[in-house]
Formats: sequence, structure tokens, C-alpha cells
Amino acid sequence: MSTDLFTSIKEGDEFAFTKKDFTRTDFARYAGGGGDFNPIHHDQTFAEKAGLPTVFGMGMLTAGILSRVPAEWFGAQNVKSFGIRFKTRLWPGDDVEFKGVVKKVYEEDGVTHADLDLTAINDKGEMLIQGFSTVRPWSA
Amino acid sequence: MADINPPGMPIERGKIHEFANSIGCDDPLYHDAEAAKAAGLPGIVAPLTYTAATAFFQPSDAPNLIKDLGLDMRFILHGGQEFFYERPVFAGETLIAEQGETVKTVKEGKRGGSMQIFDSFTNYKNQDGELVLRVKNTLIQTGGVVKE
Repeated sequence: MSTDLFTSIKEGDEFAFTKKDFTRTDFARYAGGGGDFNPIHHDQTFAEKAGLPTVFGMGMLTAGILSRVPAEWFGAQNVKSFGIRFKTRLWPGDDVEFKGVVKKVYEEDGVTHADLDLTAINDKGEMLIQGFSTVRPWSA
Repeated sequence: MADINPPGMPIERGKIHEFANSIGCDDPLYHDAEAAKAAGLPGIVAPLTYTAATAFFQPSDAPNLIKDLGLDMRFILHGGQEFFYERPVFAGETLIAEQGETVKTVKEGKRGGSMQIFDSFTNYKNQDGELVLRVKNTLIQTGGVVKE
């Protein structure tokens, strides 16, 4: 999480954490935090009318948690880019592993950069989000 | 709902605290100005996807991409999002979103006929006109209802 990490980082290094048992309360908390009040994420009656078994999590909730991989690993201020592609939905009860792997380490303008591959994968082995990030030391 | 005035998005520590907790960010950099200063930062840092929340703070007369592009809400998927940071976003500044270009590509999809992909770009500048970050948002309109 400090810039020292950039001197020892190498291809294949990993960082991961798991969040177990996502709840509707997690979705409601993100609705408040992130301002996404689409009823498909919190209203069971609405979800059933749309033909779904229940509400599902906001993609940007899963994306926000995945963004903690580069942020907690290298420091939020050192993240140069963070991107995601949505693959499948997050459902209540899911356990999700959030993981980053160093794909490439290189110098750009004399500064060490690292490209990371990121994934959010549920306990059924399905990929919810595929992500990518570039990190480099930044100072104010 | 009422619009915020003057326009622009004040980056407030209370809202950062709430947003950070909603995605499980426990790092003091998001919650404690003293900790942020001790880490050599000018102030509390906004989480990386924080500007996704501020998309909901835009005025009600802001351009509505879905409407402007004539898209059918029933067949829209949020394909993805990319954030490019010039530097972190800090509590105490005000960000103003400037809508950039939208690029359309058409692709043959596997699940619902042909897909139209819309990549739209937004620049976030602060109150001094300094570019802080750029965001690319991808919307996908499918040819029909997508089955998972």
C-alpha cells in the first residue's frame, strides 16, 4: 500500500479477498451510498413483476468492491485507471471472491507502472465482473 | 426531486464516508482527514468509483443519453465503465461533469441479435477548471430481451 511496493512488484503477484453472503441490506446500503434507486435492486414486488426470482445487486456495487483490490493493494492515490465489464448478476446469498493479478510491470517516463487483471467470481464459479487497472506511484 | 444549486457536485466528506461504507472501504484515508494528511495527501480521498454516485446528482435538465440516443430502456444493458485518473478526488472540491462525445459501434451478438454499443465520455473538472478524471461509460442496446 506504499510506494515501496513498486520496487518489489512482479508479474504474477496476487491480492484477493472474499465477501460472503451478500444481502438485500448490502444492496439497500449501496442504493443510499451510490444513489441508485432503480427498484429492480430493492423492491421484491417490482422484481417479480419483471419476471425475476428476486432483486439483484447493482453492477456498480460489485465494481466498487472490486476497485478496493487495486486501492487496498497499492493505495487509492496510486491508481491510474480502473475499468470493468459486466458479465453476470449478483444475487442475494452469493459469496464473491475479488482478486487481482499483476499482468505486466514496466517503466513509463521513468516511473514504474503495473497492469493488473481483476476478477469478481461467485461461489458457482461465474464471473460477475472482469476488470483491469493500471497503478503507478502518485504524490501530491 | 429538487436540483442542487449552484450546479456541480460538491465532494463532501459525509457523502464519501457513506459511499465508502457501502462498498466496505475501511481504510482511514476515506474517513479521517488526519490519517489522509499523515499519508501525505491533501485531504480525505473519494473511493475510485465515487463519481458513479455523482452521476445521480446531475440536474434534471442535464442531457439524458438514453433519451437523446433514442434507446429503448427495456433492452439496455450497462456494459461497463472505465475511469482514468489524473489524480485522486479529494473532499472539499467541487466536480463539474462535461459530457464528451459518444461513439457508436454495431456488433453481432450471441444472445439477442445485433447489438449497438455506445461508448460515452465524461470529463470531470474541478472548480478551477483542472481535469481530475475521465470516465468512459458503455451502454449496450440489444436486439431483444436478453436471457441469462
